[in-house]
Amino acid sequence: MTDNILAAFDLVLITTLLLLAWKLLSCEDIFTAVVLFISFGLLMALAWVRMRAPDVALAEAALGAGLTGPLLLAALRRMERIRKYERRLDLDEERNDYKKPKKKQAPPL
Amino acid sequence: MSFIHIAFALILLLAIAAGLFRILAGPTAADRMMAAQLFGTCGVAIMLLLAEGMESPVLLDIALVFAILAAMATITFVRRAWHSSENVGEMNENT
Amino acid sequence: MRILNDIGLLFIGIGMLFFISGTIGLLRFPDIYTRLHAMTKADNVGLGLLVLGLSCQADSWQTVARLIFIWILVLIASSASCHLVARSALQKNIQPWSRP
Repeated sequence: MTDNILAAFDLVLITTLLLLAWKLLSCEDIFTAVVLFISFGLLMALAWVRMRAPDVALAEAALGAGLTGPLLLAALRRMERIRKYERRLDLDEERNDYKKPKKKQAPPL
Repeated sequence: MSFIHIAFALILLLAIAAGLFRILAGPTAADRMMAAQLFGTCGVAIMLLLAEGMESPVLLDIALVFAILAAMATITFVRRAWHSSENVGEMNENT
Repeated sequence: MRILNDIGLLFIGIGMLFFISGTIGLLRFPDIYTRLHAMTKADNVGLGLLVLGLSCQADSWQTVARLIFIWILVLIASSASCHLVARSALQKNIQPWSRP
């Protein structure tokens, strides 16, 4: 009886993990992928517990679900800021290109 | 080994699998993040039930680590990531 | 001891109802604020009743102390993050849902 319900628990856990991994890899939005990665780490800790390795589960809970998620979110923010900064650089270059001919044309006149 | 605790843990795992839909289809970024936080709380509850069901009190420590680190992701999201990701959507709507 | 076990199972069952209703609210509610409302009930009351039921069945006082410590940590984390998300959603001018 108990073994049956444990087998059902493992089956649901493995199915959810596989679905989560597939959605995580085929996701187009980066933020959704980060959130899916956080929940993947949580379910992976549960899987380590079911494989009777509580020490690995402890490390997975601390690293996979706890620390990697905020690190990836902060990296996402920095990535978008770099992208905006590049856009501003492009605008400045265009502005300089627009201004430079005026300055160059001014002295001959 | 206790049957009823593992059955309750299975119900909570099915609740996590149902909440996965909200992460995949959430309209705003905050919905996805709060669904992930509900996953964290459900994970703590599953750990507590498994500690009783599998008779290994070590799992209480893992639940403790989950509880300590639960707020980190959401607080980082509010302080760092939300602003930029929502702004990108607004810029796309404006232009 | 037997009746304490049954009372614990009853509390765990009621807490499980709170978790399930929190998940249904997460799936069905129309707005970020209403979803936050449903989710924090699952966090606080559901996990509180679960901890109450498990500590009725626990063997030693150390286990009960650890369970209550876990519950207090989750309480602090979930209420703080719910408050942060709701306040910054209001600051971003996300309008609350109203019946059309």
